Amino acid sequence: MSRTRTDRTDRAARGDREDRATRPDHGLGLRPDRPTRPLRAIHPLREVRRRWRQTLLSGAGLGVGIGLVVTVMAAANGLGDAERAVLHSLYGVGTDISVTKASPSAGAPDPKDLNASGSSGKGIGYSPGKDPQPVDQLTPAPGLSWLPSAAAAQAGRLHGVAEVAGGLTLSDTSFIVPALSQIAPDGTPPASAFPTTLLVSGVDVAHPSLGPFASAKLVAGRGFTDADRGADVAVVDSAYAAAHSLAVGGSVTVELHRFTIIGLAAQPAGSADVSIPLARAQALAKASSTSPYTGMTSPDMVTDIYVRAAGASDVAGVRSGLARLLPAATVSSASSLADQVSGSLKDVSRLINQLGRWLSAGVLTAAFVLASLLTLAAVSSRRRELGTLRALGWPRRLVVGQITAEALVTGAVGAVFGVAIGLGGAAVLSAIAPKLTATVANSPGNVAPKNVGINATGMHVTDAPGSLHDLAVRMAAPVSASLLLVAVATALAGGLVAGLVGSWRASRLPPAAAMSDVG
Amino acid sequence: MYTLSSVTKTYHRGREGTVTAVDGVDLVIADGDWLAIKGRTGSGKSTLLQLLGAMHRPDRGAVEFDGRDLAGLREAELTRVRGEAIGFVFQTFNLIPTLSALENVEAALVPLRLPGAERQTRAAAALADVGLADRARHLPSELSGGQQQRVGIARALVKQPRVLLADEPTGNLDTATRDEILALLETLWRERDLTLVVVTHDADVSERARRVAVMDAGRLAVVVGSEGN
Repeated sequence: MSRTRTDRTDRAARGDREDRATRPDHGLGLRPDRPTRPLRAIHPLREVRRRWRQTLLSGAGLGVGIGLVVTVMAAANGLGDAERAVLHSLYGVGTDISVTKASPSAGAPDPKDLNASGSSGKGIGYSPGKDPQPVDQLTPAPGLSWLPSAAAAQAGRLHGVAEVAGGLTLSDTSFIVPALSQIAPDGTPPASAFPTTLLVSGVDVAHPSLGPFASAKLVAGRGFTDADRGADVAVVDSAYAAAHSLAVGGSVTVELHRFTIIGLAAQPAGSADVSIPLARAQALAKASSTSPYTGMTSPDMVTDIYVRAAGASDVAGVRSGLARLLPAATVSSASSLADQVSGSLKDVSRLINQLGRWLSAGVLTAAFVLASLLTLAAVSSRRRELGTLRALGWPRRLVVGQITAEALVTGAVGAVFGVAIGLGGAAVLSAIAPKLTATVANSPGNVAPKNVGINATGMHVTDAPGSLHDLAVRMAAPVSASLLLVAVATALAGGLVAGLVGSWRASRLPPAAAMSDVG
Repeated sequence: MYTLSSVTKTYHRGREGTVTAVDGVDLVIADGDWLAIKGRTGSGKSTLLQLLGAMHRPDRGAVEFDGRDLAGLREAELTRVRGEAIGFVFQTFNLIPTLSALENVEAALVPLRLPGAERQTRAAAALADVGLADRARHLPSELSGGQQQRVGIARALVKQPRVLLADEPTGNLDTATRDEILALLETLWRERDLTLVVVTHDADVSERARRVAVMDAGRLAVVVGSEGN
């Protein structure tokens, strides 16, 4: 027997002996200034404490359901963030609509065999000579083609358009044409003959909030200003800078021109390695030796037009207007681009959104049912107590309030469990989640160019080389304050549901339930 | 105080069919009366007490309480009658296990919507009246059976009801404690001019009552004693 129980038994045994020693004064130490205790608050709390095992069981059940919901929603949020990051790498944060034009054939000139073709289809030949010959070519990124800058101005005059910016997305491919003496007897060229590619973005410095560069977060130095319009300055992707030991104040070479690095920026995966002012990018592209072959006929051409609508309701109308204005171009909104992203990111996202949500909904429902059944059982076991309250003249609403308050305490316990389990689950998910890939078109919004082949098994259609590229995305499961609020509210709602079920049962108890014999 | 005319109460109990617990009872209980209701188990005495206590409405007949027929009152009005005018004492004490003696007594004042301070003061006074001032902070589990029944009596009387209904109030007590409780009830009945109705099996209890009613198979077989106080 526990010490407490012994003490209570002793006190009870003494009780009858001391009954006769009544005291004329109340002797309770009651003072007028002593705050009165809210009986209707004390009672539910003490009842919950008395039934702490059931409360913990019910709260833990709710907590598991809530925790699973928090984890799944955090994962869904993380995947949503990843998808948004992928889309932002394509056309930026503040952009509602992007306009691109697909090239007739995909891919930059391929200098691997020292004989490449541009999107115009014309050949570019390089012949080894006496001395090594450095080559640096600017071409539209694979799959993209030129749009006239005037189109951007025309787009800006459409109804519902708030802001328009042009952009250039270029591939800067550099290699060294070896001297004849550098080529091995079996024809193998030296390593320097193999190209390296730099993704270059021409940024409209007058509209920095539009286009992919709007997603960039400066981590060092500064961004572009209007004064940089014609300057040889660059903002370099921080990951690229780290990989190539670049820093603010240093320089980076684009098309054999040196650009001073004024800033480093963290950007979504797949973003440009180097961003330079649009005017300088256009000038370099026009001056590039490949411009006749890529179809760049004037220095004011762009590969992308980014549009911000005046309001969400204007997006559809602006999109239609742009399609009429530029019938040969592809006009994409965020939703249409999102549909074109594929890869494991999409697969996991689909899994989380379908299976995960159904699973958590099922577990949550089971937790609600468990909490309700335990509350019903508690009400049944307290039939006489609740009947006594009714016999004392407590109206139904007070008894209902009593049961509901107790169930809400259970819900609060469930909220604590749920938040803890949810935070833990999200942390574990973030820690162990593998890297995912998002496969996107190099020409956002355009159908990827296809190759058609025929072999013994029939005709096969495949994506043309360079038409798609994979972006590595790190999956995280961020738990926001609003998600935690949702978790707490859901747990309390679970408690409320259980309380209402129990209250319904309690409200049907007659006051005669207080008495042992109803006959 | 009470006038019962041809009161009948029937229960429907599934396969057992219909049970007539109280069958055509006529009874008058005057102010200040002390009536003991006796009878065998299942004779209908508890049901009669529940009808007097506004816990049930009769199926037929009238239960007039201070000139008002309880059969015609709505549920909320019956609740108000119980909360304001009727005190109950139960065989098994029926104290809330998580509340102290003082809080249990206070619980009877909750329906009266009294300020917390007044509730507390009145509950303390009621406990003192039954000799349990020094047990106010104790939980029911820390009290003896006799003390728990005293708390039950304090709870019944704290709202100063005009009638006290007791269902086997000494049924769970030993002989010595039973005598103390009976003495206490008798004292309170006399000092407060209460109307006391006690359902009991115990001959010692019924011997103290001014009148004794005997129930048999739902009918009031005999009433011994005069209606006057």
